[in-house]
Amino acid sequence: MGAAINTLTDMVIAEDRFSHSAADLHDTQIAALNERFQERRESIKLLAHRADEAGVTEITSLDDMVPLLFPHTAYKSYPESFLVEQKWDRLIKWLGTVSPHAIQPIETSDITDIDVWIERLEANGNYISCSSGTTGKSAMLIASEKDMDWSRIDTVQVFSWGSGVKPAEDRMMIGCAPVASVPKNRLIGEAQNDAFANPEWPRWAYPVPPITVGALTKMVVMRKKIADGTARPDELADFDATSTDRQKVLDDAIELTADAIIANRDKKLMVSGLWSGLYAVAKAVRDKGYSAKDFDPDNCIYVGGGLKRAQLPADYQEFVHQTFNIPADRTFQNYSMQELNSGMPKCREGGRYHVPPWIVPFILNQEGDALIPHDGTGEIEGRAAFFDLSLDGRWGGVITGDKISLDYAPCACGNAGPSVRDNITRYADIQGDDKIGCAGTVDAYVRGLS
Amino acid sequence: MNAQTNIEGGEPVVSAPFFLRGELLEGADVTQRSRDLGVTFATPKLPFDRLVPPRTEVPPLLNVPTSEIIDFLVETGQRLVAPDNDYVHECFDRMASTHILPRSVFEAVGKHAVAYLDKRILQAELEQNFPDPAALDGWIPKQDFNGRKSFVRAYAPRLIHVLPGNSPGVAVKSIAQGALVKAVNLFKMSSADPFYTVAILRTMAAIDPNHAIVKSMSAAYWRGGDAAVENVLYRSQYFDKIVAWGGGDAINNVVKYLGPGFQLVSFDPKTSISMIGREALESDEAMEIAAEAAASDLMMLNQEACAASRFQFVEGPQDKVDLFSAKFQRCIAERAEMSGDIRPLSMDLKEEVEALMMMDDDYGTWGRPDGKGLVIRSDVPVDFHPINKIGNVVRVDALDDAVKYVNVATQTIGFYPPERMADYRDRLGAGGAQRVCRLGEAGPSTVGNPWDGMYPLHRFVHWMVNEDGQG
Repeated sequence: MGAAINTLTDMVIAEDRFSHSAADLHDTQIAALNERFQERRESIKLLAHRADEAGVTEITSLDDMVPLLFPHTAYKSYPESFLVEQKWDRLIKWLGTVSPHAIQPIETSDITDIDVWIERLEANGNYISCSSGTTGKSAMLIASEKDMDWSRIDTVQVFSWGSGVKPAEDRMMIGCAPVASVPKNRLIGEAQNDAFANPEWPRWAYPVPPITVGALTKMVVMRKKIADGTARPDELADFDATSTDRQKVLDDAIELTADAIIANRDKKLMVSGLWSGLYAVAKAVRDKGYSAKDFDPDNCIYVGGGLKRAQLPADYQEFVHQTFNIPADRTFQNYSMQELNSGMPKCREGGRYHVPPWIVPFILNQEGDALIPHDGTGEIEGRAAFFDLSLDGRWGGVITGDKISLDYAPCACGNAGPSVRDNITRYADIQGDDKIGCAGTVDAYVRGLS
Repeated sequence: MNAQTNIEGGEPVVSAPFFLRGELLEGADVTQRSRDLGVTFATPKLPFDRLVPPRTEVPPLLNVPTSEIIDFLVETGQRLVAPDNDYVHECFDRMASTHILPRSVFEAVGKHAVAYLDKRILQAELEQNFPDPAALDGWIPKQDFNGRKSFVRAYAPRLIHVLPGNSPGVAVKSIAQGALVKAVNLFKMSSADPFYTVAILRTMAAIDPNHAIVKSMSAAYWRGGDAAVENVLYRSQYFDKIVAWGGGDAINNVVKYLGPGFQLVSFDPKTSISMIGREALESDEAMEIAAEAAASDLMMLNQEACAASRFQFVEGPQDKVDLFSAKFQRCIAERAEMSGDIRPLSMDLKEEVEALMMMDDDYGTWGRPDGKGLVIRSDVPVDFHPINKIGNVVRVDALDDAVKYVNVATQTIGFYPPERMADYRDRLGAGGAQRVCRLGEAGPSTVGNPWDGMYPLHRFVHWMVNEDGQG
């Protein structure tokens, strides 16, 4: 690893890591981007292709990096038939086009489902995470042992900085959401537990069976079978029945979790989940007759992800906070995504998400093929792209589907580093679908899976 | 009139007026955004009452003979292609800013579509759609084997047409069909083309502003799925049927409003394919002929049309299929270059193609993902929807292996050699296909033939009965 990369990633535990302005970091970041590019250009096949196409041989400015950033969809570009028809060797070959490290061969002849495939890859130091695509394809992201080590540190740092909660091993951890059991989520849970939980009090795990990648991709596979016309009615009926059973387990989990929280209300708690789950549990707690006055005033909350299109009342955040007696200055939110390896915590004073020195932000046009011109001061709006220099197991440059406003001026919290306004939207949500034409695909004929 | 309006001193905005039963309604009350290109255009506020004639009114065309309607349509056709038709010129000027296709392409398509307004074609449509076309012009006496008597009428329906954005030709056809069945028509235009329908209707009004056809036609634009509009208009009290093109959100929005008395006639979104037998690989000449024909089918409307082929199932060994693929790509690229269409691939599509290029021996690629013509050879169809001049050659040992890829979305199957069509059509129909034709002939179709699995005019009308007792 290069010197400039080290300079930036060494700041991971520095208290003042968000205080460096973009201008101060600029030269080091460009040098670090070039170090990473030189290191990886031959080892990541897709990157080599991109670099050849664009004629880039060196990174001397942010502009040089733009054609080398991978759209977030790059991790969904594997042929779906590999997944549906369980062609595990082919899938590994595809992973090899985005991985900088050679993937050691694994025995695939006896693999029965994708979870086994993932386990075997993990045993070789390749950690695969999948995004939970419900109707579309899942992104498949490869990471290394180094990435896992980094996440362990970063997740605690991000939460501690954003919430003001010190890691003192004095809390009971309450999970309020089903979590996909992918390696990264698993180790984040462990790291949070090690830092913040009282070792005497076992973590309350949300009482649902683990959501494996296999379970996540079942929906995708079923959708494809319906589209192809190969799904038989009995198979569909079974699938629907399983979904109904799963919904019952999910509904029960809300009640059980509410009871667990009430039973442990004398302890200092750290509740975690997505807003939709947190809201559901908070509502169950209220319905049972408990609210702020019954809970420790030093409780805290860890929220992952956005709303994921969940429909909640306008005051859902206050409702959750007030239910669990979480102090107003303990609001914690984090801007990140599966494709990155680091978080961008929201400060409590300015309400903005702060970009750490080892993440280089790019504001692109909507098409994602050019930087929006700016003079490096003030706020600019556009498509977010990031280069996460902490990433080892895949290329760090990602063009997101998000529209953000990035400010290069210091934040109200006093930090001089770039920060993101709390108005992030997805381009997919903005554009809607007003398109009508007679040319189309069989996807329009698939009903009832969403 | 001015084609451009200035809004608050900003950029000039193209205006899209409405047509209301003979009257033009101009205005820049609402700024709209075209779906494909994100271009803004301005429309008047929707005058709801004027879009929906009351049911107390007998449809204006009801007792106008179909022969007179056909004559009027034929005259409209002549005026549409007349060099001095300013409505059409102005319309193409405006469309150039909102349409995804180059001007030369949609202009040719728009003009080509006018050929439909031909006396023999329109008569054939009526004769093929109705066992007795006289039922449109009057009450047909009937008597059953019990001696019971009655009259039957193909009564003029009240129709909303939700027009597609990909092909301007549909506007011509929809207006003609709406007129032939004597319907009270409201055309909902698309954001890619909120102009051509109005240009046709204005051309009609210029012939005779008080003609019953003109008094039966309105055209307006609103954003598809806008509940504030659709919840008002999509009701059986106002319309009998909604004739919609497309799928996905466009149809899902419509489906919400269906109910007793308000039915959907859907022209579904379709994918077309080619099936190319081993005969095409037997010689270099045969390969050239088949590649050229396949490219012609693929490049219909520069692959924006529903009949444009997207997957080509080719029967034979990989080395020969690869030779074919190279020729096929060359033929696509030649046509692409001639059309002057240089739209780049979307980021997502480019990404998918590049991933396949990385997989070397599993996939063959000819050309580059640059919108200038590309062919991908694979063993199973690719995940993405080939669009913007991309062919996916799927190699099969036998065409029988390709039949399983025919599904409910399959429209046209271009077949080579034609002698083998008869061996396959029964199985293709079972899979859901609508139309088999000779490779290279995805465009033309026999006058008056069914479309989308139906005789559309027959579906449009409201069959009404007048019982007249035991004779």
